Amino acid sequence: MKNSFQRGLALFLTTIIILSLASCGGGDAVSKISSKVAAKSSETDKKIDTSEHKKIVFLVLGDKPTNGRMEASMAKENKLLTQKINTELSLQFIEWADWQAKYQLALASGDSSIDLVGTATDWLYAWPLVRKGAFLPLSEDMLSTYAPQTWKSVPKEDWEECTSEGKIWFIPEDQYTQWTNHGMFYRGDWAKETNLSNGKVTRFEDLETYFDGILKNHQGVIPWDVSGPNNLWGLLPGYLESHTQDIVILGVDPAIFYYDRSDPYKVISPFMDGQEFVDAVKLMKKWGDKGFWRSDVLNYQGDTRSLMYAGKSGADQHHTQTFVTTTRPQMNAKQPGSDLQFYYWGEENKNVNRDLITHGALAISASSRNPERALMVYDLIRNDKQIYMLHNFGIEGKDYLINKDGTLGHPKGYDETKDALGTNFWYGRIDKFEPDHDNWDNAAKKQIFEELDKVAGKYALSKFVFDPTKVSAEIAALTDICNSQMPSLAYGKAGDPVQAVAKFREALKSAGYEKVKTEVQDQLNKLKSSQS
Amino acid sequence: MTYQTNQSLKAKSKWKKWRDSRTLILMSLPAVLFFLIFCYLPMPGAYIAFTDFNYQKGIFKSRFVGFDNFRFLWQSGKLWMLTRNTVLYNLVFIFLGNFLQVFIAILLNEVRLKWFKKLSQSFMFLPYFISAVLVGLISYDILNYDYGFIPALVRYLGGTPPKFYSNPNAWPIIIVLVNLWQTTGYGSIVYFATICGIDPTLMEASEIDGANGFQRIRYILLPSLKPTVIILILFSIGGILKGNFGLFYNLVGSSNAALLPVTDIIETYVYRTLINQFNFSFSAAAGLYQSVFGFILVMVANGMVRRIDSDYALF
Amino acid sequence: MATVRIQKDTSSKVIAVIAYLFVSIFAVLCLIPFIMMISASFSSETAIMQAGIGLLPKEPSVEAYRIAFLSPKYLAGSYIVTILMTCFGTGIGLFLIGMTGYVLYRKDFFLRNKIAFYIYFTTLFSAGLAPTYLWMIKYLGLKNNYLAVFLPLLMNPWLIFLMRNFMKSIPYEITESGKIDGAGDFRIFVSLILPMLKPALATVGLFLALGYWNEWYNSMLYLQNVDFVPLQYYLYNIVNKAAALNQSVAGANVTVGHLPTQTLKMATAVLTTGPIIFLYPFVQKYFISGITVGAVKG
Repeated sequence: MKNSFQRGLALFLTTIIILSLASCGGGDAVSKISSKVAAKSSETDKKIDTSEHKKIVFLVLGDKPTNGRMEASMAKENKLLTQKINTELSLQFIEWADWQAKYQLALASGDSSIDLVGTATDWLYAWPLVRKGAFLPLSEDMLSTYAPQTWKSVPKEDWEECTSEGKIWFIPEDQYTQWTNHGMFYRGDWAKETNLSNGKVTRFEDLETYFDGILKNHQGVIPWDVSGPNNLWGLLPGYLESHTQDIVILGVDPAIFYYDRSDPYKVISPFMDGQEFVDAVKLMKKWGDKGFWRSDVLNYQGDTRSLMYAGKSGADQHHTQTFVTTTRPQMNAKQPGSDLQFYYWGEENKNVNRDLITHGALAISASSRNPERALMVYDLIRNDKQIYMLHNFGIEGKDYLINKDGTLGHPKGYDETKDALGTNFWYGRIDKFEPDHDNWDNAAKKQIFEELDKVAGKYALSKFVFDPTKVSAEIAALTDICNSQMPSLAYGKAGDPVQAVAKFREALKSAGYEKVKTEVQDQLNKLKSSQS
Repeated sequence: MTYQTNQSLKAKSKWKKWRDSRTLILMSLPAVLFFLIFCYLPMPGAYIAFTDFNYQKGIFKSRFVGFDNFRFLWQSGKLWMLTRNTVLYNLVFIFLGNFLQVFIAILLNEVRLKWFKKLSQSFMFLPYFISAVLVGLISYDILNYDYGFIPALVRYLGGTPPKFYSNPNAWPIIIVLVNLWQTTGYGSIVYFATICGIDPTLMEASEIDGANGFQRIRYILLPSLKPTVIILILFSIGGILKGNFGLFYNLVGSSNAALLPVTDIIETYVYRTLINQFNFSFSAAAGLYQSVFGFILVMVANGMVRRIDSDYALF
Repeated sequence: MATVRIQKDTSSKVIAVIAYLFVSIFAVLCLIPFIMMISASFSSETAIMQAGIGLLPKEPSVEAYRIAFLSPKYLAGSYIVTILMTCFGTGIGLFLIGMTGYVLYRKDFFLRNKIAFYIYFTTLFSAGLAPTYLWMIKYLGLKNNYLAVFLPLLMNPWLIFLMRNFMKSIPYEITESGKIDGAGDFRIFVSLILPMLKPALATVGLFLALGYWNEWYNSMLYLQNVDFVPLQYYLYNIVNKAAALNQSVAGANVTVGHLPTQTLKMATAVLTTGPIIFLYPFVQKYFISGITVGAVKG
């Protein structure tokens, strides 16, 4: 008995060890398969075989909805998808709790059940993921065969922004107009009480007048209640944008590397050099001492937007999209007459840029088993009006209605916190199918969008993809210094401004600033020469 | 001939050892298998700390980069400060914490009123459940300059209110107090249970012999707690470089530069530097640093305890 | 034999006074923040944010609870999943830990120290987040499986060592006499040792149960698509969603009415802690004071 037992045990243990060793090569096998598939698809002619029913999984961000509405509208959507291309779609949610870790883990695990991946170059790590091999390169052949409508509708220069090393890595959300340029929301009614002309803030320094007014006329209200840990660099970048023509280079951490609008391929840093930064810090100290924000702002974790809604805070800092869709309508409802206004960074010197077209993008997972079919599904969601409406808004009549004026509304009794659809398709919306919501301030939206459209420039380095491999330790050190010291500078808690800035710049230098700057410049030079 | 007999004797007795202990071996199997499956088999994955982890290639086929991933730990020149902070805080937590837990357990044992004992134990238990986030919120509400409870009290009494969040010297004390508050009740349960397990005849005999309260505590209770204290302390030493991230992050945050030199620990540093560049290899490197450090320390400590009395050692 | 009279000498009286004093102060210090938490959960969000938390609710409101109870079916499901996992996990885990502790306690077991080190070593080195995740998902195939949450909590090195330590107060003669009577090691463990371990089992069982009850981390990592997730994670998610939508990048894409975050955190904490408060008194009766046992015996 003990012999057979021990034999069984030995066998069991050996099996485990063998399995673990064998699976080490798993990743390799998967990459072989997907490259085979990619090769095969480029050999097929334009006839697409949809005889096999397939299930496609779409990785999106957000909490899994529990009200049943997504399931209901997905059922209808899947009927159409089955009809047209014999496919069913299901969503896999990366829930908000610790989403950064979960998103990366889902892609790192080589989960072959994931096909479509929602991503973005600014907040969803698209380029680092490309470098880490998470996405499948999309050949022109693949795109034109399996996503023809999308392929035709996206212009060549937009594809180029998604290209690196000659391959296209994701599909941009380039036909959706949104503005996420930052600025400050302030109350129009309180601004009129000051001596600001027209009661409007049109330059950065006007904010001081506005905040002074609040201190004087509204006791008990904090001019700009802000949570330091949630807004680490405060108003410093905004000040720099409003006083120079410097534009931050995206994709390089920390965000202290800029280029001047007139010379895009030269790396500069207004944080390290020049007087503007010192002036900014001086101003922030003055404002902090005056009491424009809480004294323990660096540790305050409250939700200051709610305080503004409750009339206890006079301002809130975020971007255009939030202004027109959320804060202005909410203030109209919660603080009638407040007439919330928006001053955006760079308003006075026209230093503002359009949004990146890759603020939302769609990639195919490198370990996907059905990349072609996945592309076909995406093509339909993006371009087929019926499927688009089902996917984004739900079932007409139950989840949404189209009002007479063309805006989108909801049936009576609809509560956004309870009844939201939650499909969170932020990776391929198009203006054509996106009606204004009736609970947005659409007049304000129209006005601001038109104004921005007129003055905004274009981000000149959209083709620049920075590879940090050689300097990642220095970048980590720089990030540490910025995130730990910048808040004190931003909220006037660092003592004498001139000394504090000098100390800060010194710290950055010893952490390896020059090395990183040189590396960025080198890569920029390479890009420049490859383009000419 | 003798040589062969000795060898076969040895082999026989070795086999006999295994045979005789077969039930015990079987009884230990669940634990052995459990840790094999959930801890040891994935452990080689720690190799990720030495690679440029590529998701497509997997851990073991990614490019080897030596100690490159560790560079970010010392690039900012803060490694010594972080290590020192982490170790010092943990030492205080461990020693002061256990002392307080023993103290409370002994006191609880002296309480005779059953309802009082039960009620107070339940209350002391509560802080353990208050998550770090809430602890941070509550302490902000007590300490902040604008409307916090303590500054308000001081203002009411006519003094100048203290600025806790600008004063680094206050924080080692605050952090230790909060940690003790959170863990003492929960930790004292172990000691209390140990006291409950003391042979009651021992206690009775000492009473008959005329031992007073203090003597009882000194000669019976404390010695009976000694093994437990040593084991628990030894156990904690392995984690000496691992900080209570939740506590530090929520209590002090990582954006207040004035406080960081005395409150920054390895984990808050790692969190802060990796916020934007999500990098598994870097965090693995930091974890490895913490593990190796703790491993060396605990081997030394256990070795020392073993020399004094092998019964008290961990292994 | 007459019952032993416990003499109350001066030093005992002094100690008693110190005991009552310290314990009361400490207990009150522990209770107050908890009361603050409950009050805050019944307050309105803006009152809390403006002026902080107090001992009494400010601008009483049940808004936070309304949000937490938005999906009562899922909340109930979470409670059930958690209760089931806690009960089974504690039962099975307690037995396994007890058994392992006994094995380590047996001085005559030649593998004892090696296994002790084997177990302890796992607290020093771990594979790390990404490798562990890959291992569970890819090789153990536990994606979306409740076992991914249930199994890892069954055994815990700290509890195993704690158990071994409790056993040290059991005289070795018991095992020896059992062997003389011809019982196997397992029988000795079950029939002789276990019944003597009441405080130990209560303590370890309590910690084990708390581990299951409070668990949210593995749920967050591995349970993406199940209907009912463990309680702590469910509530953690509600709080996180509010925070994420109110402030994050994605907030631009979603129009949501404003969700209260601070009071929500308090409410969710009350919902998870509440049941435990009721559990603890049950466990307490196993912490029988040594003197009481002695009196019965005498």
